[in-house]
Amino acid sequence: MAPSSQQVIDEIRRIARQELELERPVDAGDELIRDLQLDSLGLTILAVGLEDRFRVKLTEDDSARVSTVADLANLVARRAAEEKA
Amino acid sequence: MKGPPAPKPKFSNLTEALAAAARSHCGLTFVNMREEEQRLPWSEAYHRARRAASALMKLGVRAGDRVAIILPTAPSFIDAFFGVLLAGAIPVPLYPPVRLGRLDEYYAATARMIRLVGARLVVSDARLRRLLGKAIEASRPELGCCTADSLMAGGEEAEARPHELCLIQFSSGSTVDPKPVALSQENLVAQCAILNAHINASATLREVGVSWLPLYHDMGLIGCLLSAVYYPAPLVLIPPENFLARPALWLRAISRHRGTASASPSFGYSLCNHRIRDEELEGVDLSCWRIALNGAEPVSVQAMRTFARRFGRWGFKAQALTPGYGLAEATLAVTYCAPERPVQAMSVDPLELAREGRVRSGSFEIASVGMPVAGVEVEVRDARGESLPDRRVGRIFMRGPSVMAGYFGNPIGTARAVVAGWLDTGDLGFIHRGELYVCGRTKDLVIIRGANHQPQEFEACVDPLEGVRTGCVVALGFTPEGADGEQLLILAERSAIGPADLEERIRKAVLDGTGVRAHTVKILEPGTLPRTSSGKMRRREALRRFLAAELRPPQPVNVVRLAGRLVQSALAYAKIELGHES
Repeated sequence: MAPSSQQVIDEIRRIARQELELERPVDAGDELIRDLQLDSLGLTILAVGLEDRFRVKLTEDDSARVSTVADLANLVARRAAEEKA
Repeated sequence: MKGPPAPKPKFSNLTEALAAAARSHCGLTFVNMREEEQRLPWSEAYHRARRAASALMKLGVRAGDRVAIILPTAPSFIDAFFGVLLAGAIPVPLYPPVRLGRLDEYYAATARMIRLVGARLVVSDARLRRLLGKAIEASRPELGCCTADSLMAGGEEAEARPHELCLIQFSSGSTVDPKPVALSQENLVAQCAILNAHINASATLREVGVSWLPLYHDMGLIGCLLSAVYYPAPLVLIPPENFLARPALWLRAISRHRGTASASPSFGYSLCNHRIRDEELEGVDLSCWRIALNGAEPVSVQAMRTFARRFGRWGFKAQALTPGYGLAEATLAVTYCAPERPVQAMSVDPLELAREGRVRSGSFEIASVGMPVAGVEVEVRDARGESLPDRRVGRIFMRGPSVMAGYFGNPIGTARAVVAGWLDTGDLGFIHRGELYVCGRTKDLVIIRGANHQPQEFEACVDPLEGVRTGCVVALGFTPEGADGEQLLILAERSAIGPADLEERIRKAVLDGTGVRAHTVKILEPGTLPRTSSGKMRRREALRRFLAAELRPPQPVNVVRLAGRLVQSALAYAKIELGHES
């Protein structure tokens, strides 16, 4: 079954805590760059981590559509549903 | 000081080396995130490259044309790179975009690099090609952009026709003022011969390389890929983004393939220290890893020590850690430590070093980057160009067979960098007991995680902020005590009325604009930063003063002088008013 946006958000939280060692809590409305202060290394870790976990491919131009945690979660959930279909 | 005599290269150009590798039984292995592997023997890589060369010639690529290659670490990169080479054109590998990263700057930087080398064609893949549209539009390569796959469509194989120029590499990360370093076939085979002589000190061992380094960067492309072709040796390649996301992939691949040689900048070692969990290394045995090169950015003693301690449990040998020093303009390596000996470090007084350029013992550890590699000579010189005695800090110069042919299309820049065969590295260091220690640089460059950034990239983000004095900001790289790599330092003067959260705003603006996090942001009183007589910021002097704790605001204007000024300006006003009245 394709993951829900909420499941993706949970995974983003896990990556933020365990892989990126982010100390602040992560909210759906947080912007990846402005609020979470992710640099290019952090963004790569997040993108590749989500791809690996949910077996989706994020393309480089997805960044144009993604600014918040919720945007990213929705995108990954949608991609995963498309892959299943 | 001088390295041993240069070894005589086995080949006169890289295409000969590839043809010879094709007769061996080894080749490349690509590892993905799930550790599934794809093999590409050199023999097959050679045939594919000849097909690509034939297709490129049909497209209209001529001898000496520059062809930009924007591809991830995948077989398609190998096809395109060697195809261009065999076709007698000059490959120019450029970095692909970062996922979820900022694209506008990427387009601009890529377009600039394509224009700078006058690339006639861009080779990419289907996924990236859609994305590159804007960069292609802005740079207009005559033959447009094709995919590497399309080069495989025809069955014909071309004969190699090597060009005298072999490769143009940009020093990584630089976006404001990228310098295309042109390397000749001679440069390349000389460098490969040097690296082979160094790594394969005992000829009975067969080397196995493992690398996660990007192929658009000198250490990954020349140090790993091309030297494996030259050797020829088996080489395992991990895409850099996969390594960043899961550093254990690197160590697991070394263990699985019994890797003997693998390189990384310091930050790769510290990424492993921080992000690998013990359970990811179950069954891993690193005792095969004979040479763990460390270069491309300032070598962190701390990161190496932690790495050796942490991974000793899995058979890693501390003496495998081999610091080195090099730069794109020297093709790659300038100095390397002798293999299989413990890392040598000196504890110096950082204040004395910054203030006087003298080495005295203290608390700051600097690693030796070793002796000149074969065929290379190194000198440390003072500002007048005189050679300095040991333990005195000066500019590092080097000469040898792998000093670049020149900056492509920039004879003035070349003449400035290379004088009478000596390359001015722009780095600062000192010699102690026949070994080089690098401790700073004179060129304005910030090196973070192996990527070179121009300070202007960061300064441009800060300058427009409200509360920052216009033009009064400098970005610098420095290694904080206890940190395991170079970090970003921002020094900014505030304007008369600055917002209270100025530091936070600066941090956000830098991260937002460049994707790099500032380590230290220091807000200074107006007039604190050192300037030239024409008012330009003196970045290196600012750093020296910061490190030497000498950054002080200008002499406070005393009350009497202030009163004098007030009187003067009052007089001036009075005069103006009088003028109006009359």
